[in-house]
Amino acid sequence: MVQERRILYEHLDVPDINTFDVFRQYDGYTRFEKAIAEYQPEDIAKMVMDSGLKGRGGAGFSTGLKWSFVPKDIKPCYLCCNADESEPGTFSNRYVLEKNPHLLIEGILICCYAMGIETTYIYIRGEFTLGKKMLDAAIKEAYEKGYLGKDVRGTGLNIDIYSHPGAGAYICGEETGLIESLEGKRGQPRNKPPFPAVEGVFGKPTVVQNVETLCNLPFIVGNGVEWYTQMGPTYADTRANPPTPDPNTGTKLYCISGDVNEPGVYELDLGLTCTELIEVAGGLRGEEVKAVIPGGSSAPILTHYELDTRLDFTSLTLAKSMLGSGGIIVMNETRNIVDCLLNIMKFYAHESCGQCTPCRWGTPWVRDIVQRIADGNGRKSTMTRPKFGVAENGRWGDTGETEDIYEDLDLLESVANNIANVDTMTWNTICVFGIAVSWPAVSYMRKFRPEFEATIREGQLVTLPVAEATVPPEENYAYQQRFVPKEFADL
Amino acid sequence: MSDELIQIETPFAFNEENQRKFDELIGRYPVKEAAMLPTLHLAQKQVGYITPAVMKYVAEQLEVSVMKVKDVVTFYPMFFEEPVGEYVIRVCHTLPCALRDCKVVLEHLKEKLGTDIASETNLAKGTTADGKFTLMKVECLASCDVAPVIMVNDDLHKNLTPEKVDEILDNL
Ligand SMILES: Cc1cc2nc3c(=O)[nH]c(=O)nc-3n(C[C@H](O)[C@H](O)[C@H](O)COP(=O)(O)O)c2cc1C
Ligand code: SF4
Ligand code: FES
Repeated sequence: MVQERRILYEHLDVPDINTFDVFRQYDGYTRFEKAIAEYQPEDIAKMVMDSGLKGRGGAGFSTGLKWSFVPKDIKPCYLCCNADESEPGTFSNRYVLEKNPHLLIEGILICCYAMGIETTYIYIRGEFTLGKKMLDAAIKEAYEKGYLGKDVRGTGLNIDIYSHPGAGAYICGEETGLIESLEGKRGQPRNKPPFPAVEGVFGKPTVVQNVETLCNLPFIVGNGVEWYTQMGPTYADTRANPPTPDPNTGTKLYCISGDVNEPGVYELDLGLTCTELIEVAGGLRGEEVKAVIPGGSSAPILTHYELDTRLDFTSLTLAKSMLGSGGIIVMNETRNIVDCLLNIMKFYAHESCGQCTPCRWGTPWVRDIVQRIADGNGRKSTMTRPKFGVAENGRWGDTGETEDIYEDLDLLESVANNIANVDTMTWNTICVFGIAVSWPAVSYMRKFRPEFEATIREGQLVTLPVAEATVPPEENYAYQQRFVPKEFADL
Repeated sequence: MSDELIQIETPFAFNEENQRKFDELIGRYPVKEAAMLPTLHLAQKQVGYITPAVMKYVAEQLEVSVMKVKDVVTFYPMFFEEPVGEYVIRVCHTLPCALRDCKVVLEHLKEKLGTDIASETNLAKGTTADGKFTLMKVECLASCDVAPVIMVNDDLHKNLTPEKVDEILDNL
């Protein structure tokens, strides 16, 4: 069985690790001191780039690359730590904040040193009252010990950290929504470009970084890039010629919930498969896996045919899903996918910020269609039409057969794709919340179409056995463009 | 809504402790307006909900229009514009909690408190007659590993069953 490798979470359960003295006993702040003593700021930025660290907050964007976009000549520059953790199924940041906040502060210090940043805001979710209390206490201690404030430890650096509470809006996790919210406005995302790295909070360059991403920094500096890159796979990016390495390095705090025996956060090297993760989490609660959501509720669903998919950024992107925030939700054979989609669509309809028309109206519309289907009032036409699929010549096309027309399923797909088109990956909205809506809507419906159709036909929620609820990959368009990446070393 | 049109019943001002906190807050940001959310949180802690008087006061303190404050208050679910119960009970009902039967917990709470679920525009609907409890549904509280969960004011309660809910309510 795959073994946990605790790095960020190694000392999480040490009593009083939230206090400076105990944290210090476990190498606390030594990595920051090493950074200052041994490296120039540029060296740190280069190490982060070479480590292949990718953002853990959702987008999976290379942290080193993001830092390189920040103009060096515009000051001040800000760091916003994204602790707004509200993606359903994600709960790893919470434990860091509640139990080991000094680790986050050390990560922030390293980032500030590398980027010449003097002010950091930690945007912490409003509901995290305990987390904020612990974090504020840790910040206070760090000030007292001279690790924050003016002239940090006699180095001439001035670094301030402030915590800033949110107030219950999911969209404030989106980086530009977060910035607007931090400025004291409604948390409505901004058009990009300009990207926050160039023009962010208070009109200045801003680095927005997730808690988990920042917590990786002490270990990259402390143990070196070589040590870090040994963990996790490095794939070949074959879009370039010759192929370039595409690192998925480091560990990930996988949050697993739903139908497993021991839900929780497991720190593992990136790149294990769904099946392996379920095993690590005490095995499935139930008989069979029906579906797995691999990266928070925004991610397209995986069926039991796809459980060999590796849970890392590249593999999941090529499988037409995403690792996102690393929140894995498992569903067993008793679950009804229509019902699950309804729950998720209620969430999105509630959380749309209301700026863009397709999202503001489309999301409740999608919810209403799913509600109608779940209530047993799904619409089906009495007519039929030619069926598309794998034709006799082995290509995708007209099969010569006919199929029933489920009007509500067509409508669902059409409305969702007009918020954001999942096939072309273009969105008609300001932020990618639009994709986060249409991805689940379209993927659940396409992959579990038999269950949706049965529910409409029968006029009530019908839970089909796992084998019948989804069509095999070779017959389903939803899987047609699925790829598995090759390891760079194998080329 | 212009500032003069607001009917102010009871004027609002920070108490001494909150004033101190506010003075410290305001120094953190290059523009005063940025202190909006923490300031509103302070005010809500003091009087329970955001009254027109609070909005006016906050607007004056942050040197912005009342409309701007109202704009913010209406956006965020954690700010209340109506009175709420002494204990606000937030029940998470997003997918991971739903997979662990949060419905049972919710129904049990409804029955036990004898109230409906509050909606964002009608908090009174979910508030008990004695003004002690307000029951509301919220989205994922980032504790799905210990689902189903509820928050009673600032405290999170995990792995709930109807029996545990009874225990929590009895201990309040
Ligand atoms: C709708 C939406 C919600 C998001 N919520 C969060 C969140 O709760 N926490 C987070 O860290 N990132 C969230 N993100 C991702 C951020 O926009 C951003 O990519 C991230 O904070 C960057 O940090 P990273 O590079 O360290 O991951 C969200 C994005 C979107 C589109
Ligand atoms: S896509 Fe939705 S959430 Fe994003 S800015 Fe537009 S309305 Fe707001
Ligand atoms: S769904 Fe309830 S805590 Fe995440």
